[in-house]
Amino acid sequence: MAVFKPVSEGILHVIQSASSITPRLLENLNGDSKRPQLTTPRKMMTSGMPEFEAIERAQQGDGECFEALYSMHKRRVYSLCLRMTGNTAEAEDLTQEAFLQLYRKIATFRGESAFSTWLHRLAVNVVLMHLRKKGLPEVSLQETMEPTEEDGPKKDFGAHDQVLAGSIDRVNLERAIESLPPGYRIIFVLHDVEGYEHNEIAEMMGCSIGNSKSQLHKARMKLRDLLKVTRAERAGARK
Amino acid sequence: MRTGEAKAMATQQETKATGIGAVEVPGRDNQMNCADFQRDLPLIIDSGGSEEQEEHLRTCAVCRDLVNDLRYIADQAKLLVPMLEPSPKVWDGIEEKLKLEGLIKPAQARRTP
Repeated sequence: MAVFKPVSEGILHVIQSASSITPRLLENLNGDSKRPQLTTPRKMMTSGMPEFEAIERAQQGDGECFEALYSMHKRRVYSLCLRMTGNTAEAEDLTQEAFLQLYRKIATFRGESAFSTWLHRLAVNVVLMHLRKKGLPEVSLQETMEPTEEDGPKKDFGAHDQVLAGSIDRVNLERAIESLPPGYRIIFVLHDVEGYEHNEIAEMMGCSIGNSKSQLHKARMKLRDLLKVTRAERAGARK
Repeated sequence: MRTGEAKAMATQQETKATGIGAVEVPGRDNQMNCADFQRDLPLIIDSGGSEEQEEHLRTCAVCRDLVNDLRYIADQAKLLVPMLEPSPKVWDGIEEKLKLEGLIKPAQARRTP
């Protein structure tokens, strides 16, 4: 027997990706156009249950509410894990581990930060712990701030008519990120995709702020090269 | 060797050593060059640089293109949204483990009969 009933059969009707929901869609989903429109798109939209109540009930061991929280946040956590590891199987394992830790620790959530922020930080720590166990170099502490020849802009890419602006699409950028060396990829994802500040990254990674900035710069330089190669290949294929 | 020749040779050697396409501008001997600017770039790209660095950026097309590219990449990265959903087996695994650990209360327990 399943521990949780499927959410669709339960009292909650969780709408995933609430941030992309339009007021019109909300009306339709609520099934009542006269109902006041919800104006807090990041809150869990449920049938009379805001996110904070779902959290409170999950803290008391309510499995259905926990599943609702999972449904609400699974994409963001999974995307984080996938981008940081570049591996689907690992990302799924880490997503599972992050939510297991969430369940074990949710009673300690005091609302001092947004729940999504708290969960996200927990997920980052799960991924970093995993990478440490694997022995992958996150950030070389011996890394210097001196640019190497490899890090410098290539002459071929310096001309005015070859700037990147307007040439990147989501798929190519995702692929380029995936092909970054692990240490660069982690810093880039944390800073440029997820929006962490250098001081937060330095704390999480156990490195200096300068080191975080250096690695981020190298990651962007590497991406620049990768994206220009991709663009050149596409242009060649069209000829 | 005359002074002008020595400076030109030094610039060529610097360009070769760093791989950076330093732009030589007559009469700008005392101004920041590309190697200096790009050495400091990791620290200033997101926060802005000194007056001298900003001046170099205004007058050097190579460094300006570089900075524009790097900022463009960062801007595009901010637009990436979580698109993919984990497979259903992820939730199955969570449910199974919580059940094994006895951490979950049956949902029925809190409901009225």
